[in-house]
Amino acid sequence: MAVSWLSRLAAQSSVPVFPVRGIQGEAALHRLTLTPGVELVDSPRHASILLVAGGVPPDQHDALRRVHDQLPNPFATLWYRSEPLAELASATRVDDPDALPGTLMTAHQELMRGKRGSSPRLLPDEPPNPWEGLGDDGHGGEGMMGGVPYGRPMAMNMHDDIRDGLTLDSLTVTLGPFLPMLPPGLGAKVTLQGDLVQSWITQHAPYPIALESVFLEAREHPVPIAELELARARYHLQRLAFALRLAGLERLALESLRLAQGLSPDSRLEGLRRRLTRCGFFRLTTTGRGWLDETLARRVGGVAARAAGLEEDLRSQDAAYGRLKFTPVVQSDGDTNARWCQTLAEIEQSLQLARQAEREGLYSETTEAIETPRGPWGEQRPGDASGVIDDLLPGLEWDEAMTTLASLDLAAVSEWPQDVTQELGEAPGDGADAAEERRA
Amino acid sequence: MELLTLFFILLIAAGLGLLIQWLPLRRQPMPTYPQRAPFLGGGLPETHAWSRFHVRYYPMTLLLIAFEMEMMFMYPWAVVFVEQGMKAVMEMGMFLAILSVGIVYGWREGVFKWQ
Repeated sequence: MAVSWLSRLAAQSSVPVFPVRGIQGEAALHRLTLTPGVELVDSPRHASILLVAGGVPPDQHDALRRVHDQLPNPFATLWYRSEPLAELASATRVDDPDALPGTLMTAHQELMRGKRGSSPRLLPDEPPNPWEGLGDDGHGGEGMMGGVPYGRPMAMNMHDDIRDGLTLDSLTVTLGPFLPMLPPGLGAKVTLQGDLVQSWITQHAPYPIALESVFLEAREHPVPIAELELARARYHLQRLAFALRLAGLERLALESLRLAQGLSPDSRLEGLRRRLTRCGFFRLTTTGRGWLDETLARRVGGVAARAAGLEEDLRSQDAAYGRLKFTPVVQSDGDTNARWCQTLAEIEQSLQLARQAEREGLYSETTEAIETPRGPWGEQRPGDASGVIDDLLPGLEWDEAMTTLASLDLAAVSEWPQDVTQELGEAPGDGADAAEERRA
Repeated sequence: MELLTLFFILLIAAGLGLLIQWLPLRRQPMPTYPQRAPFLGGGLPETHAWSRFHVRYYPMTLLLIAFEMEMMFMYPWAVVFVEQGMKAVMEMGMFLAILSVGIVYGWREGVFKWQ
């Protein structure tokens, strides 16, 4: 009796969803974040529904199985524009972003009322490294540190400390590709010493990001500048929301996303900027960390390049932008804080350009070279730049490393626009290719 | 006799507590091994998590001296403060000024940063 009452109560609560961010799933997740009754959580242990948003390349299916098996019973899976794993042939698949919240809520209610069975476990229930009951303390070896408990070696202080000489045991872990604090698809082998990043080796490049279709249209024919600039501001606001969520400023992240969703040339950024200053977001990042020199900044391109003082913006080559008296905004420091100042300045500039361009009804003129929010798209699309973090992050403390990573936009630009229903999980996935290239 | 009664009360209380914990869990199997693995976004740890972590006792000790020990000296000082008047205030001011140099130094070194 009590249990049925409790489960009925649980069915009415908001749906805890753990999103696996696949290729081209971001747009749907941004909408889902703003949907009442759906809560996107950061760990599979807090979730009752696993939402695979976007395609997952076949070489990462093992990682997906591991995440799938970490949800507590009972749980369900939902596949948004993604082919379910072969073992889960009967899993629900949704392709319509409007139907997504409804399907999530129905699945959660059925699950809580016991009308729907839990998703089966995919991995065998056996210890990854069996216990070896050897040695005085059962640690599998002789001496204090000589064992391999559960088949894994003990963490040892094999590396010299690179912070203050106080050597700690270093812990090596493989992170990603579905860790919520990293860009989607980014996988890395990280050695930590305490909270200090000792080494960072990127193993999987982040998935290519899909830009709004207006940027791809701008490569083919002139498009209204107002539309182009609004899309640019939207992109930056969504990136800002990700960083804010990472910093624990959930409400500001929602505000930023809400601003992005209802963005018009009349939108104002002052309110958000004031709240960012007040809550200390800029103070969080004023450590002078994550500094990029000119070569690295040019390699990343876009906001990161201009934040390092490089006056590179393909919009200055467009005659229509010339009529709007466009000059690129630049910062000089090139660190994490400068990149966020630059991002906010660019959002403001984009809104202002959109206002002017709408009044004058201006269209872009150059189609050979356009400036995407990710960087310049001249002869080729902005490519993956995740190689720069291998040298940038070691020596930083974990929080600094994560704020630095969030301030950098590293993924390549996908050849597909955001809104096309494209099966990327099975088709030659962009992410798989990028990962292959990196390994080669 | 009283001791025995107390012992029984303790036994019943502990038994009830354990029963309340056991009842809802009695039919639930342990989570599977893959579920119990640390969540790393699909990755796996290479080394065991039994890593030794330095607590940094030395800065802790210095902080204890800077914040707690001065309070210890302030109790007897408060007793004689009315008799001694301005002289006591000056002396305590000097003492606190010297200690605050240590606090400022610690601040600069980042010991107040939560890690």
